[in-house]
Amino acid sequence: MNARIPLLGGLLSALLLSGCAGSQQQSSNEALEAARSSFQAVKENSDVLRSAPKDVIRAGESLARADRLSSYWGSTDDVSHYAYLSQRYSEIAGQNSALNLNQERAAKLELERQRLQLALREAKLLSVQEQSNWLEEQMVSLATSETERGLVMTLGDVLFDAGQANLKASANRTVLKLVQFLQLNPRRVVRIEGYTDSRGDKLENLELSRARAQTVADVLIDLGIDSKRIEVQGHGESFPVAENASAMGRAQNRRVEIVFSDEQGRLGLAR
Amino acid sequence: MINRFSCAAMVVLSLTGCASDPAPTEQLRLTEQALAQAKAVGADEQIAELAMAEAKLLQAQSAMQRDAFKEARVLAEQAELDARLAEARVLTQKSQDQLNELNNRINRLRKQLGEL
Repeated sequence: MNARIPLLGGLLSALLLSGCAGSQQQSSNEALEAARSSFQAVKENSDVLRSAPKDVIRAGESLARADRLSSYWGSTDDVSHYAYLSQRYSEIAGQNSALNLNQERAAKLELERQRLQLALREAKLLSVQEQSNWLEEQMVSLATSETERGLVMTLGDVLFDAGQANLKASANRTVLKLVQFLQLNPRRVVRIEGYTDSRGDKLENLELSRARAQTVADVLIDLGIDSKRIEVQGHGESFPVAENASAMGRAQNRRVEIVFSDEQGRLGLAR
Repeated sequence: MINRFSCAAMVVLSLTGCASDPAPTEQLRLTEQALAQAKAVGADEQIAELAMAEAKLLQAQSAMQRDAFKEARVLAEQAELDARLAEARVLTQKSQDQLNELNNRINRLRKQLGEL
């Protein structure tokens, strides 16, 4: 009896499907094996079990169904189908688990970021208080002016390392003021625009102007301003505010401008 | 053994009677929902599984019109999981991007703190 039924089945299926069953059988077996090993992997992974138990269970159920069907002849399509579903559930479980781990990690990092942000803010305040002479302040052209582009604040060249995008410690006071202003005016947004003088390579100037503007943006973000409120642009040597012929004129042209929106968050058009 | 044999017999019967499968209307609705949700989180044709889901859903819909209900159900079931996998991939990628951004910010903060 044991031997006869598969024999009979084999004979019948050979007759019915006239031979094409062989390759179908093979591909459904392969699908079943692939599904089985995927399921095995997620089942043994405790992270996956913890984050996506439902998908693991469904992967197991579909696999069991494919297994059951594989003992009947003539159901290779169904075997492939349920093996496919099982495989997909295992993959979904794997992805959901990765997602969950990432989120847990992000929550921890977020706390760490907030802690560092506070520490940085305190350190900057301290360093501002420690600067007993405000000589730098006079060098800082902390000029805020009302122009047709709205309220514009200019950070002078002296706040940056020469030819570099790094902000000097002497910029702390200005930056903190800026942060304070943005915190008191939560609907305002800013566009940070970098400019250079006309010496040197045009493209490098453009790059430097953008990098300096980005540095200012990064510091604001690090001190707690939402990055969505900040736009960054580099203009290179365009739009000089003084002639480039004299050293003084060039120094004025090397600057970062911060354009403020109105209270409703409407920024003037970019240049 | 008898049981097994009768099962096999039923399979033969059911093979001849594919049309007796009920119309998988509910499954198609679920599939469409899963696709819409995957797209809502930002899955697009770049994600292979989303393209597969869309192609299978189209095939399932045309199978429905031919009253090939079993074929429609199989395709729609697969499309639903393709779409859900696409959605999960997009969400995982986004969380990875978020992690990278957080790490960048933390490194920047550490660097600044070190310089003070």
